[in-house]
Amino acid sequence: MSLFLREGKVDIIKQNSISQPRKPYNYLYWLQRAMILFSVVTLFLPAFFPGRITDKISKYCSIFTAAVSYSNLTANVGLGFRYISVLTFRLVQLSGIAIVVGVAVAGIGGCMSLGNNKMRLRGGFFPMIGAGLILLGDVFARVSFTRFDAELKAAGKKLGQQEPKWSLNFFLVFAIILFLISIVLVLSEIKREREEKMEMQEKYKLFLYILPILMLAFIFSYLPLWGWRYAFFDYKSGADLTADKFVGFKWFGYLFSSAVTRADILRVLKNTLVMSSLGILTSWLPVAFAIFLSEIRSTGFRKSVQILTTIPNFISWVLVYAIAFAFFSTEGFVNDLIETVTKVAADANYLQNDHLSWIKMLAWGTWKGLGWSAIIYIAAISGVDQSLYEAAMVDGAGRFKRMWHITVPALVPTYCVMLMLSIANILSNGMEQYLVFSNPINKNTLEVLDLYVYNLGIVNSNGGAMIPLSTVVSMAKSLISVFLLFVANSVSKTIRGENII
Amino acid sequence: MSEKKKKAKRDSSFGLIIYKDTVGDKVFDIVNVVFFTLFMILCVFPFYYLFINTISNNDLVNRGMITFIPRGIHFNNYLSLLNVTGLGQSFTVTILRTIIGTALMVAISGFAGYIVTKQHMWKRKIWYRMIVITMYFNAGLIPWYLNMLMLGLTNSFWAYIIPGMVAPYNIILVKTYVESISPELEESALLDGATTMQVFTRIIWPLSKPILATIAIFGAVGNWNSFQDSLLLMNDASLFTLQHRLYIYLNQTTDLGSLMDSAMANRIASGTLSNRIIKYTISMVTVIPILLVYPFMQRYFVKGIMLGAVKG
Repeated sequence: MSLFLREGKVDIIKQNSISQPRKPYNYLYWLQRAMILFSVVTLFLPAFFPGRITDKISKYCSIFTAAVSYSNLTANVGLGFRYISVLTFRLVQLSGIAIVVGVAVAGIGGCMSLGNNKMRLRGGFFPMIGAGLILLGDVFARVSFTRFDAELKAAGKKLGQQEPKWSLNFFLVFAIILFLISIVLVLSEIKREREEKMEMQEKYKLFLYILPILMLAFIFSYLPLWGWRYAFFDYKSGADLTADKFVGFKWFGYLFSSAVTRADILRVLKNTLVMSSLGILTSWLPVAFAIFLSEIRSTGFRKSVQILTTIPNFISWVLVYAIAFAFFSTEGFVNDLIETVTKVAADANYLQNDHLSWIKMLAWGTWKGLGWSAIIYIAAISGVDQSLYEAAMVDGAGRFKRMWHITVPALVPTYCVMLMLSIANILSNGMEQYLVFSNPINKNTLEVLDLYVYNLGIVNSNGGAMIPLSTVVSMAKSLISVFLLFVANSVSKTIRGENII
Repeated sequence: MSEKKKKAKRDSSFGLIIYKDTVGDKVFDIVNVVFFTLFMILCVFPFYYLFINTISNNDLVNRGMITFIPRGIHFNNYLSLLNVTGLGQSFTVTILRTIIGTALMVAISGFAGYIVTKQHMWKRKIWYRMIVITMYFNAGLIPWYLNMLMLGLTNSFWAYIIPGMVAPYNIILVKTYVESISPELEESALLDGATTMQVFTRIIWPLSKPILATIAIFGAVGNWNSFQDSLLLMNDASLFTLQHRLYIYLNQTTDLGSLMDSAMANRIASGTLSNRIIKYTISMVTVIPILLVYPFMQRYFVKGIMLGAVKG
C-alpha cells in the first residue's frame, strides 16, 4: 500500500477524471505559458526596461527595480529635478509597476490553466487582464518619454536624453499577442461542458508548490550566467553592451598576451594551488585526530575535546583575524609575553610581514577547521563493529595494530570522498580568509584566485573597465571547477562504484 | 548502540581477554591526553584572553600587563561601546537579518524538502536537479555581483534576506529526513481527505523538528557571521553587518576617534580607553552570542554534519 501511494499510482487512478484541454488548444496553452514565463524573466533583465528616458537612470535598472524602488530609479537624477517634474519619473515607476503586476496576474492565469475546464475558463481571463496592464505600462512609459522631452525643451536643457527603446514596441506586440491567444483559449473552453468545481491534477498542484522556489533559485543562481556576456564586450561603466562593442574572445587572449596580467595570473594561480595543495597534504590530520581521540578512554574528556575544538569553526574569519590581531600585532599577547619573560621591549608585528605566509594561513585554517572536520570521522569510528576489535584482541593484536588494521580501513571510504571533493575545489579557497589577513606587505603571497577576482573586478575595477577581464577569470574558474568535480566523481565511481555528488 | 552500552561491552571484553597495556600503550595514552589538552587550550584560550583584556583595568591592559589573569575587573568598556557611532545600527541589522533570514530559510527549506519527496510531481527529477546543481555550480563572483546590481539589491536590507531563502543543501537535508519518516502516516492522512498542505503543516513539519532545528542553527550562525555580502553590496554604512563593522575597525590603524562621537574620542585621547581595547571589546561583543548559544546547540551541529554525510 505504502509503495502504491508513494509512487503516485492511487493518484493517477483518482485524477484521470479531471478534464484536460483538447489537442490543438493544448499546444496553444503551452505557448501561452511559455510567453508568460518569458515575461517573468524580462522583468529582471535591464535590457527590457522600456522606461529608461535618460542615461541618469542606471543601466542596471530593470523593470522590477524601477517598480519597487523609486530611490534606486532616480538615484543619479539629482539636480535634474529642477526642471523635470517628479511626475515624469513617477510615471516611469508606474509603468514598471503596471508591467510587474500585469505579469503577475498573467502568471496566476498561467498557473490556473493547468486545472480542469472550469478552472481554465476562470483562469483564462487573468492573462487578458495581465496583457491589459502590460499595455498600460507600455503607454505610461511612452507618455513619460514625451513628457520628458517636452520638459527639457521648455527648460532648454539636456539631461542625457535617450531614444525610445525597442522594448516599448516589444511589450506592445507581446501584450497584444498574449491578449489574442487568451481570447482564443477562453472561447475554446466556453463551449465545453463545465464541471461542478475547480480542480487540478495532483501532479500539477505539486509543481505549482515548488514553482516559487524554482523561480528564486533561477533568479539568484541561473540568472547570473547572463552576466557572462560581459566577458565578450569592451565595457565602460554606465555604457550599454551594444553590438559594436562586441570583441569576441579578446579578453580571453588578453589573459595571456598582456605581460602584466599574465604575471598576475601566474602568481595568483601559484598561491591558489599552493594553498589548496597544503590543504590536501594535511587532509589526513582530521583522520588522525579522530583516531587518537577515539583511543581516549574517558568519555567526559572525549566529549569536552569534541565540544571545545569545534568552537573555532563557528566564528567568522573576521573574528579569527581579530584573534590574530590580539595575539600577533605589535601590542599583542606574544609580544607582551616576550616582554614579561625577557624584560626586553618587543614589538614585532607578525601580521605585517610576508614570512611563511602560506604556512601561517594553513595554520589558521587548521586551527579553525580541524576539530570540526574530525567529527565526520569520529562518527564513522563509532559505527565500526566492536566485535572486530575483540576478535583482533583475541588474535593478540596490540593497540596500534588494531588502529592500523581496523580503524584506518574503516575510515578510508569517507576520506576518499573528502579528498575527491577537495581536489574538485582546488581553485576555490574562498576569499574571506585571505581578504582579512592581507595587507600591502603580504598581498603578493596571499592573493588567491577568489580574492584576485574581487580585487580586479570590484576594488580596482577602474570605472568598470576591468569587469570583462574579471568576468573571464570568474567564468574560467567556474567551468574548470565543474569539470574537476565531474572528473572526481567519475574517478570515485570507477574506484568505489559510488557517486560523490 | 548507546555510548554506555558500548563501553560496557568493551569493558567486559577487556575483562575476559585480559589485555594488558604495554609500556608503549601507556606512553601513547599520556602523549594523547597531553596533546588533546593542549589543543583544547589552544582553541579556548584566545577567547579567554580577549575577554580578560576587555574587563581588566584599562591602564594595565594598555601596558600589556594582562596575559593570563584579569585584574581590576570592570565592565565600563562594554558600556562605552554604546557611544560608538553606528555599532548599534549594525547590531540591529545583524540581529534582524539573523531572525528574518533564518526563519524564512527554514520555512522554505522545510516545505521544499517535503515537496520534492513527492514522486508524482510533474517532472519532479528535473526540478530537483535544478535546485541541487546550484550547490556545485555558480557563475562566479563578478556575474553574481552584476546580477545583484541588476536586481536592485544593493544598499538594501533585502539583499541579506532574499538570496539566502533557497538553500539547496538544507533542502537536501530535509528531504533525506522526510524520506525517513514512515509514509503510512502521510497516507492515512491523505486517505482521510487531508490536502498536501495539511499533511505538511500537521504531520511533516512537527515530525521534522529535529532537522529543522539543525538547519536553523546553521542558518543563524551563517547569518550572524556574514561579511561578504555586506562588503560587496553595501555602500550605505547604516546597513553594514556587525562583522563588516568589526573588519573596518580592526583595519583602522589610525585613531579610532574619527569613528566615534566626541565623548569617546576624549577618553581615548586621555588614555583611559585605547584603540586596542575598543577593538577587543567589539570583537568580544561579536563573538559572545555564538559562545553563549554554542554549548546548547552543539548536538545539533554534530547532527547536521552527520546528516550531511548522507548524500541527497
